[in-house]
Amino acid sequence: PCELAVLSHDFHCVCNYFFLYDGSKVRGEADPTRDGICYFYPEETPLDKQELLCGQLAGVGRCVSELSSSPARTFRLRRNKFAIRMKDDFFWALGCSVDVPTVSVSEFLDQLIDLFCFYNGPVRQSYQLNSQETLAAQWARYLSHLQSGSSELSHIFSCLKTIDSTNVDPLLLLKAALILQACQRCPLVLAGCILFRGRVVSTQMSPGLTMKVMIHESETYTKAQRPNGTSASSSFSGTVSSTTVFLTAPELQDLQSAPVDKGFRCCPTTPQRDGPSKKTRLSRTLSDTPSPESQVSNPSLSKPPQKASLSPRLSDSDVFSPASSHSAANSLNPSPQSLRFLSNGENTVEDEAEESRSRDSTGGRSQIRSEGDGSVFEEDSHLNGGEVEGAFGGVFEFQAVESGNEQPHDDKVVEEDSRVSRGSVSGHKAGKSDPPALLPPPHRLSDASEENALIPMTLYMHRVKGLVLALLVEPHFMSDAASMEEVYHSSLASLNGLEAHLRTISPGAPGGPGPYTFAHFDCIQSTLTTNLSGRSGGAWDQPFVRATSLLHSHFCNTETLQEAIIRSACTAVYGTRSVAQETYFQQNGGSLRNSGIPNHQDSAFSLPSKARHRLLKHGVNLL
Amino acid sequence: MKCLLIASESAEMLFYWTDLEFQQNIQKQYGASQEEGHEFPAFEDSISTLFAPIIISFSTMVTEADSYTSFTTENNHIYVLHQFDECLYIAVNGDGEEKEEDLRRKIYVMNKMIEVLFGMVTLSGNLLRKELRARDTEQRLRLWKHLQSLLETYSHLRENDQSFLVEAVERLIHPTLCEQCIEFLERRLVQQINSSVERGGEEVLHAFILVHTKLLAFYSSRNASILSTSDLLALIIMAQNMYPSNVDVDDPSPEVQSGDSLSNSTDKDIDSTSGSGHESFYTPEPSPTDKDSSSSGGLLSRAFMAEDSLSTLEVYPPDPATPHKVFLEVSQKDGLYPMMPHSMYCLKLWPGITLVLLTKFPHSGVAMSVYTFWEAFAKLEKRLNEGQGGSTRGQPMHEVRSKLDKFLKTLALNGIQVCFCVLLCFCVEWLYSSTLPQHSLILWCKNMKTQLCGIYRQCFLSDSGPDDTPRHLSPGLRERAQTMVQEQLMDWKDFLLVKSKRNITMVSYPLSDFPGLVHFICVDRSSGQMIAPSLSITERTTSELGKGPVAQYIKNKMWSLVSTTRHYLQKGYSTLTLRDGDFYFCYFLWFENETGFKLEAKDIPIMPDDSAPIGMLAQNYYRKLLRYYSKNHPGETVKCYELLTVHLGVIPTEIILQHCRQLASKLWEPSRNPLL
Repeated sequence: PCELAVLSHDFHCVCNYFFLYDGSKVRGEADPTRDGICYFYPEETPLDKQELLCGQLAGVGRCVSELSSSPARTFRLRRNKFAIRMKDDFFWALGCSVDVPTVSVSEFLDQLIDLFCFYNGPVRQSYQLNSQETLAAQWARYLSHLQSGSSELSHIFSCLKTIDSTNVDPLLLLKAALILQACQRCPLVLAGCILFRGRVVSTQMSPGLTMKVMIHESETYTKAQRPNGTSASSSFSGTVSSTTVFLTAPELQDLQSAPVDKGFRCCPTTPQRDGPSKKTRLSRTLSDTPSPESQVSNPSLSKPPQKASLSPRLSDSDVFSPASSHSAANSLNPSPQSLRFLSNGENTVEDEAEESRSRDSTGGRSQIRSEGDGSVFEEDSHLNGGEVEGAFGGVFEFQAVESGNEQPHDDKVVEEDSRVSRGSVSGHKAGKSDPPALLPPPHRLSDASEENALIPMTLYMHRVKGLVLALLVEPHFMSDAASMEEVYHSSLASLNGLEAHLRTISPGAPGGPGPYTFAHFDCIQSTLTTNLSGRSGGAWDQPFVRATSLLHSHFCNTETLQEAIIRSACTAVYGTRSVAQETYFQQNGGSLRNSGIPNHQDSAFSLPSKARHRLLKHGVNLL
Repeated sequence: MKCLLIASESAEMLFYWTDLEFQQNIQKQYGASQEEGHEFPAFEDSISTLFAPIIISFSTMVTEADSYTSFTTENNHIYVLHQFDECLYIAVNGDGEEKEEDLRRKIYVMNKMIEVLFGMVTLSGNLLRKELRARDTEQRLRLWKHLQSLLETYSHLRENDQSFLVEAVERLIHPTLCEQCIEFLERRLVQQINSSVERGGEEVLHAFILVHTKLLAFYSSRNASILSTSDLLALIIMAQNMYPSNVDVDDPSPEVQSGDSLSNSTDKDIDSTSGSGHESFYTPEPSPTDKDSSSSGGLLSRAFMAEDSLSTLEVYPPDPATPHKVFLEVSQKDGLYPMMPHSMYCLKLWPGITLVLLTKFPHSGVAMSVYTFWEAFAKLEKRLNEGQGGSTRGQPMHEVRSKLDKFLKTLALNGIQVCFCVLLCFCVEWLYSSTLPQHSLILWCKNMKTQLCGIYRQCFLSDSGPDDTPRHLSPGLRERAQTMVQEQLMDWKDFLLVKSKRNITMVSYPLSDFPGLVHFICVDRSSGQMIAPSLSITERTTSELGKGPVAQYIKNKMWSLVSTTRHYLQKGYSTLTLRDGDFYFCYFLWFENETGFKLEAKDIPIMPDDSAPIGMLAQNYYRKLLRYYSKNHPGETVKCYELLTVHLGVIPTEIILQHCRQLASKLWEPSRNPLL
């Protein structure tokens, strides 16, 4: 639902300085400041200057945080504006020009640190494990990624780059969404997104998470198919790669409660769901003996019967059909692998008939990890509050999956079962999908909680030329050949088709300066729609960007503010916002000859109605 | 949790003010870093130790051509830093009551007050440092206490008084009375004083009557220059500081009663005991031995705890009747002279009503010479710094020399500091002929400037004047002046006190004309005056907005609206409308010529966030704005107006804008408001 301005200045430099300083390395009087400098941008800065900035800012930061008993947040200087983060002994500072709104600078730094942690895990730990040079390259990479190819507006809003939806057949977007949903049928897949040439086509993840995933994509994209360093699955001819990433607890929780995948995700996993819910109590008591009462407790969930009436194939094509009907992926048929995959893991638990077996298989496992399960549980019920049931189910699911992995099995009956339930139960399985399954084994969790709970996961990427399917998956997904094959083959044809279509879409020609300029920011999806073309560099652009940046800060700082009109001698900008969006509108051309005295005939005051009118055709509804 | 401090470059504490909460916080912090069992260190030591790293780092960064302007922390503490010459000001807020702009404004206002109190001495960091941090502890504490009290008075006014919110003078709207008073001040009071032998060589230039913070009448003698709004506002702060009118306690009703029963009495002592709520700020007839507890400010005593050296040492404020030396801007035909010495006499007529007289000294012409001379050196230094030495050196030197000649004549006439001047003369002579390298010349210039400030200090700040003649209006004369005005206003006093609370009311803007209008402020920036319905929110008085939370809410909205409009104005936006909650706010700034013709809007300069605050009290933004705008209108007198309105949000925008237009044209109509 969006388009982007960008395209023009491919490198818009906002960041003047960035550094990470480790105060723990400079304890004694004799310790030189340079020992504490982990990374400094621009790297060519003379060391003296680096030391000066790091030493002074970190010193003042400490002093201020002592005086106020709270970490410093921003430092403003005459020529630079620094966002500051202080954590443990680390001190980050990101310096931008003073024109950039403070909220934006702070957000920029948060993103940067988050990106680092996403790909490298806890900062302290990664500096223990890796050389400073390696990590310096990482920082540089993230920094240039965040700065590159974006317009001033996108810096103001920190928005996601998305494909121009006005040029794209909506069915293609639907297809992309369906591909993602199909992938999610593998219980090891948490969520995914599809990117095309560095822009989002469809995503199931939060904007923040999507943004993090995108950097890896753009990286591999520019490296043009070079085998990925982290790990490339040989069997998929280098188009598939994966890397370890780290999620924060809230992100994980987000994925758990994400409404995106509800409908479809449930399909394949519903049977599991029932299983888990039956066994929740077991898990809670750290025993896996399924207890009958749990079954009773969940009559609605246990309704999917064992009898399969639909063929797996049929349901499969159901899922894919809307997309495939519009794409070359038509040919896609569920491969045997996919079927097997679907059965994989689920069967062991789900089937009542199989219950004893599943008890055995999971039993062994849970014994080993019983302690961990307990802790997982506690946390889980915490996170999910009232919806314990789903969460428990998730945990259980995880176990089930694991056990499935251990014991290859092809139980036809079970398979059919899952199909059926997919068809029938999908509706009521909203709420919690299986995110708890993401919770790491106990030892990892405890590690993580020390460092603000960063939980290792795997980012799986499947590239088809300019198109990338990125999935967040359980770490052991990559070692689970069956699951991988399933996901790979189930999506390959659709991806090819989608890519072929997207490739043929020519980017909409940036029109010259129109009669008006607008920007519409969707706060929920973090997307920006604007007709501001950086390329044309119209005379009206600068005033518009300036006004937008001011108003955006004002909106951020004043919750009750709904709309505003601001006018200088040459320009008038209207801004309005709701919880979900911010919209800015400027009428171009025609001199605003006025004396500044209140006058209801003044054109500035007709901006709200004009905006409502004009923006309708851009899909922006201000009513 | 608030604090403001001034430090020298070497992290020496030149002045500080904290509220109790901040002080406790500092003591806790410092206590934690001290060994157990140690005695509590003096507060001044703690605060300077804790701030020292920031101050030192500031100096370090300045040498790197960048300097801190503000810090924030995650719990929303704000630190604002600004350097004036060699003094670093740091203002801190930790309770969310002040924003960054407020703190910056506070710093600028503090600086303004110091300029008013010390004049040209502020131009020399070294001399000012000695002045602020006198070696004599008692003297230092007395000064600090005075400054602290001024700062608190200002903060109180800024938070509660609309005229200090927008930084423009509010007049009492009563044309007839005002006219009478001006006539009285001119024909009787000023004339009588200036022709008296008891005036000690002083001459009254300006006289005005304040009712609380509002101006009833203002008279300037013919040969006086215009008193700038900035200075007038600063003087009102000083007068308020001397005789605080505690609006929270004050209530006009008992005042009216006491006035009625004692209307024939001129005995101030009886008057003082009659009003129950007034003891706290009432000052009996000043006498040299009187220790006026009110002028030191009740807020202050609360702010300092017993272990604080400031309060353990009992500091008596100076007798309120003794004149204050104040340094005000004087504009003459040949230019603008900032910080020229005056004496300020603040005579209390009744609680809440004050007569202020501004006089000039017999030899204040010397100050002008010192200033021109100083300015010449400053210019020379600047040119040398810009690297135009050599060839151009001759011309400014000539200038300096001719000025020096003139200066020396004045000085010799007064027979002061002759030795010093001879030395100065010698130096200039030598400079003129010397072939010194550029940097030494620059040093010389700096040195000269400091010496000049020294002369200035000697002449106008030290207690012993240039000669032995009495330099003040005699106490008898002051008393007579006071009595005269009291007699004149006796019948009006109660009315005035009520009127000052209800200057104009929203009732005078009938609902039929302006349905949905909640509040407005209109400011004439050319004359520095404002009109607004009163916004009294005390418990006992009820404004049209009612009392309690609603009125308080509107007030808070108004205050934040003003700060918002300033922010946009700083970024070049002169019109602003906001829909915020249930209200609709408008702000307009426009220019007119003298005949009321609306001039076309022109782009307003865009300024950085850390530039001087927009206002008229410190660093008059509007004066600069008018000058900037007038460039395109040579020969025309340009006037600048501002209008802020608050409407109910349900009113259609067109109607709101119509109201604004009507207000804008009506308010300053001569027929309606002859005084403005």
